[in-house]
Amino acid sequence: MMQAKTVLIVDDSRVSRMMARQYIGGLHADWTVVEAATGEESLLKAREVAPDLVLMDVNMPGMGGIAAAELLRQEFPAMPISLLTANVQTATRERAAAMGVGFVEKPITEARIALLLSPLEAA
Amino acid sequence: MFNLTELENDALIEIFNIGVGQAAASMSAIVHEAVHMSVPSISFIPRAEAARLLGARDAAEPERICGISQHYQGAFETEAILMFPEDKSLEIVRLMVGESVPLKELTEMEQEAMCEIGNIILNSCVGTLANIFQHELEGSLPQYHLGTSDEILTATGSGADTVVLMLHIDFLLEKHQIHGYVAFVLDITALHDLKDQINLYIARAMGQA
Repeated sequence: MMQAKTVLIVDDSRVSRMMARQYIGGLHADWTVVEAATGEESLLKAREVAPDLVLMDVNMPGMGGIAAAELLRQEFPAMPISLLTANVQTATRERAAAMGVGFVEKPITEARIALLLSPLEAA
Repeated sequence: MFNLTELENDALIEIFNIGVGQAAASMSAIVHEAVHMSVPSISFIPRAEAARLLGARDAAEPERICGISQHYQGAFETEAILMFPEDKSLEIVRLMVGESVPLKELTEMEQEAMCEIGNIILNSCVGTLANIFQHELEGSLPQYHLGTSDEILTATGSGADTVVLMLHIDFLLEKHQIHGYVAFVLDITALHDLKDQINLYIARAMGQA
């Protein structure tokens, strides 16, 4: 039986957090979803809950998603992190790849969330 | 006076067409229905006239509009604005989040949700442009505006007599009969930067760069 996982959603948009939560809950009702609205908050939440996956928006007030992902990567080298962003630029994809984090485009859809969760299901 | 050659004009339309195609795909994924978008039209006009052009589209009286704007800088500088009729914005948010969210909660999150929709659609278009130009464009956080197109354009930029490139695209959510439009406003300095980028693109297309 698959062990329940914890997913940290980092996005300044409440509606995006709500949609991601809804899709994750629809796919895995027993998984825990934790939310952070800023990059700074994501660091605190990651230390608190040690998530199995972090979904990180890029364009946020204060510390952006790239900077937050870099800090998370330094502190938690093995933690799976994926950018989930409207910023579709090649430069952003390349930055993600250089940091060793995933990249998925918004808008948030059930199919995209399922794709992000699938490696955890196999684990 | 700012001029584009026929080839530059053609390349500009083509590049924005590709960007708009990506934006339409994103919009369609948000609202779960087909979105039709027009070929971009370009005009070099004073900002006040650009506002009148947008405002006079459907009615004798200026329509109240919900606008989401983002400022981009890098390869060139532009203000990108997504606009919908004000009375349709709640319907668009409903299409995005589905029927399960209660109306009260939906109304509370309307402004924030429209900002996120603008963020996704504008970045989809502008990000595609940046990829084509092979030069990064850095975007601000989305800003929400309510008012006539004149008020929104004034709130997002320079004076009424500034000459701007008005590049606008109409789109239609056919099933729900919702019209909207995207506009890019560039001042003269930005126009020259954009022209440089277009010429680099043309040179690459011709194998000269």
